[in-house]
Amino acid sequence: MAWSAESTDEELMLHYRDGDAGAFDVLYARHKGGVYRYLVRQCRNAAVAEELFQDVWMNLIRARAGYTVRARFTTYLYRLAHNRLIDHYRRNGHASVISLEQEDGEAVVDPPDEREPPQDEALDAKRQAERLLDLIGELPEPQREAFLLQQEGGMSVEEIAQATGVSRETAKSRLRYAMAKLRKGMQGWR
Amino acid sequence: MALNESHVGDTNGRAERDPRIARLYRDAAREEPPARLDAAILAAARREVGAGPRALASKLRRWHVPISIAAVVVVSASLVILMQEEEGKRDEAAAVQATRAPAEQPAAPPPLPTVAKEPMKRAPEDSLSARPIPRADREAAERSEFTARRRLDAAAPASPPAGDVATSAGKTSPQPFLAAPSAGMEERATHPTEDAVTAGRAASAPAASSEPRAALPRAEAPQSAGVAGALATKVIEQDRAPVWRDYEKEPPEKWLARIEELKVQGRGPEAQEMLTEFGRRFPEYPLPSSLR
Repeated sequence: MAWSAESTDEELMLHYRDGDAGAFDVLYARHKGGVYRYLVRQCRNAAVAEELFQDVWMNLIRARAGYTVRARFTTYLYRLAHNRLIDHYRRNGHASVISLEQEDGEAVVDPPDEREPPQDEALDAKRQAERLLDLIGELPEPQREAFLLQQEGGMSVEEIAQATGVSRETAKSRLRYAMAKLRKGMQGWR
Repeated sequence: MALNESHVGDTNGRAERDPRIARLYRDAAREEPPARLDAAILAAARREVGAGPRALASKLRRWHVPISIAAVVVVSASLVILMQEEEGKRDEAAAVQATRAPAEQPAAPPPLPTVAKEPMKRAPEDSLSARPIPRADREAAERSEFTARRRLDAAAPASPPAGDVATSAGKTSPQPFLAAPSAGMEERATHPTEDAVTAGRAASAPAASSEPRAALPRAEAPQSAGVAGALATKVIEQDRAPVWRDYEKEPPEKWLARIEELKVQGRGPEAQEMLTEFGRRFPEYPLPSSLR
């Protein structure tokens, strides 16, 4: 059966597994931006993010022959990205590995907002976006990862838990922490 | 203080989602991978599909079920054919056994392949006819045998039934040709059935032409197998006993006349040989006093 632009990610990946390179083109176009932004925000280095990005997709390509549908393709893809990121952290002695692997039990300390909220209600969206991206960058890495997986991968709490290899409650907790900090940081910026 | 769920938000999932944050993030995050990365990854994806064992494995996976079904069909057909061949060989072996048993020819292995070619379904009881005797020859032989039998029956009503001719002949006269073949006969023994058929044709043709009653009743056809067997035995013997060969289909009176003639000619051994054969063929025919 042929695929179309409306085919699901899983159908496209199965077609690619069976030798249809065109299906991969569609799949790549759908997810390249999300995976790239996930990696850029997590490692905060564009060059490293590009390297990791390429590795993630190459791993997917190499693993295509054994692909079977056991979960949403997005969960599978972002798990590859998550694992590649962990490998990168470990190889470079990144301190974030510890924070990624430990369970969350941190105290909520509101991030200090040293910037003045805009006085003008017509403050352009650009400054709001910059403020939000700054806040995201200040999140602890597990929370930032949960937020990015939700926003870029469109994943549910359960899927975030699967992709990151933690329990559902842990994923849920991380996501709530992240969202609470972002809300608080954006207060008055509307 | 640790933040518990009640601090984060409500229990309906709104704590994990914020439409305003999501909208702001979508507006803010617009980075895309560089085009060179796109090209490299897409090219690698095409290379991976285009060649290598994975592509072959993928094709094999696609054809796995049809190939399996075809293999099962081929193996099954081969087994059926083999079983049929085995069954045919078994039947042929049984036919060979049946051929050898009544003829009592343990020292004649070469004829076996010739016999094995005979389709046993046609005439399994026709053990001596390794090759099919032409219908005209067979009927001529049957006619002459029948004529002789009727004449015998007329002369001696207590003689055994015609169907027993082959059996009784086989039992009462061991075949010297098979028991002690001469040098010349050994060569012929490699194709005895062929010789028998050829000789049978030669012997039966004049008999058929000399007999006025060409048409036989259909009811007598079942005797053909035994008659043909006896004919073949006699034909083989004719090569060995030419003295009475020309009298094989003659009535007993002619046999006695010929024996008398041989005695008059001083050919005692030949007369005795023909007399012996006469006694075997016509055991109940009264001999004249000159020959007793």
